[in-house]
Amino acid sequence: MPTVSAPPPERAGGDPRPELVLRDGVIALAGTRCRHCRHPMAAAPPRCPRCGRSSMAPAAFGPEGTVFSSTVLRIPVPGRTPPLTLAYVDVDGGPRILAHVDGPDEALAPGSRVALSGWNEHGDPVVGRCGP
Amino acid sequence: MTGAGTAIWGVGTSAFGKQPSVGGPRLAWQATVEALDDAGAKAADIDAVYAGSVFGDPGTATRCLQQIGIVEVPVVTIENACASGTSAFHEARLAVETGRYERVLAFGIETMTSRFDGAISPIASDPDGAQGYAMPGIYGMSATRYQCEFGVTDEQMAAVAVKNRRHAVGNPRAQHRTAVTAEQVLGSPMVADPITLFQCCSIADAAAAAVIGPRGGSRDPRREVAVRSSALRSGRLWDHTCEKVWGWDIVADTAARAFEAAGVGPGDIDVFEVHDAFTIGEIIATEALGLCAPGGGGRLAESGRTALGGAQPVNPSGGLLSRGHPLGATGLAQIAEIVWQLRAVAGGRQVAGARLGAVETMGGGTAGIDGNACVVAVLEQAG
Repeated sequence: MPTVSAPPPERAGGDPRPELVLRDGVIALAGTRCRHCRHPMAAAPPRCPRCGRSSMAPAAFGPEGTVFSSTVLRIPVPGRTPPLTLAYVDVDGGPRILAHVDGPDEALAPGSRVALSGWNEHGDPVVGRCGP
Repeated sequence: MTGAGTAIWGVGTSAFGKQPSVGGPRLAWQATVEALDDAGAKAADIDAVYAGSVFGDPGTATRCLQQIGIVEVPVVTIENACASGTSAFHEARLAVETGRYERVLAFGIETMTSRFDGAISPIASDPDGAQGYAMPGIYGMSATRYQCEFGVTDEQMAAVAVKNRRHAVGNPRAQHRTAVTAEQVLGSPMVADPITLFQCCSIADAAAAAVIGPRGGSRDPRREVAVRSSALRSGRLWDHTCEKVWGWDIVADTAARAFEAAGVGPGDIDVFEVHDAFTIGEIIATEALGLCAPGGGGRLAESGRTALGGAQPVNPSGGLLSRGHPLGATGLAQIAEIVWQLRAVAGGRQVAGARLGAVETMGGGTAGIDGNACVVAVLEQAG
């Protein structure tokens, strides 16, 4: 089970993982949104991959989202201790990101609701199940 | 490009398996010498080489080929994840088709067992890979989604492994040549929920090759296999707007191009080799290739239609689930299998009367895109 830590861990330059931030005590996904076509992203590229314009502006998303799918990876992976419960999460108003899932080692049902909850000991983004 | 003027003159492969003591060059020689002999060609006849390799050391292709005399020619190595071998095939085909070269060697190699103990390590520079997201997880996600969205069952997924392992009993070059039961498949250790170990391809060391040239130009044109078409493309963006599982659209889009260029539809194909790195991968690929409606891949797998003796056999070789998946070599092993099927020399795994065959390979590992690369090729008996 991942342990959630706060404040946010230091990020190495070039860390490709989605970046979670704390703002006024509320956790959010820091990303960008195209000023032209409104396409949201976790990354900050110079141009929008959907419309091609140079119009990505900083944006924050979440903290809740909907699970697209989920799995529990039960094999050894360098730098991690299995099992890893993972989910693709469509963050409300934002992009789809991969995140680790806090709680039991069970895949989440697609469509279920989760919320960004912090970081594990490796600095991976973590989500928790919403509600009962 | 229709590819109507291009043919496969000869194919060859090494055995597929965990064979770290053999080494890359010897695997390459086995595959390449067999392909040259099959084509009735000599090393000096080869005008250019397109090689597929993912984890190979720098210089792998030239290191492997120079000692059998393939020298003083352009050698281009392509990395396109799991589709590296078929990407090399596609580029070789185009090079002949456009007249850039006359006789081209498409070559693929991977020696994995000296590099990995199990699953391929996730890519640390990737947004998903940096979180420890290994490839089985990607397919586990697809399987979870399919079970929820379409009611695909564990038993339907197991049916893919059972079918392909049964096919491989007739393939002396496969790594796994024993049949397994659904109970064994579902009782094997869980790897990425709901995918169990026997639903995952093994790593392997192997090489495979094909000699490609103008149709009718080989020593024995009756043995040529015509390349009706081939298509290669990367995926669409795969993001929050995508309702399809990862890797569905790229196969459908690539297949549509290949089938259109060949002037055929999926119903015309007698035999398929598709990318069954994981059981759910074959379920998704058969849908995306048009063998059944979206969501019908699980029922198709258990119907018998895609088994040997069925109307459209898929993976008569046993597929990646039986051969193992040495990434660079896989695509050309698929090509070799279809060539053998269309020449009716596939022995105990022969698809009776096969005249048209198709190959599909799809590679991934990059977050945010619906696959790094997919290749679909349509091959036809020329005799």
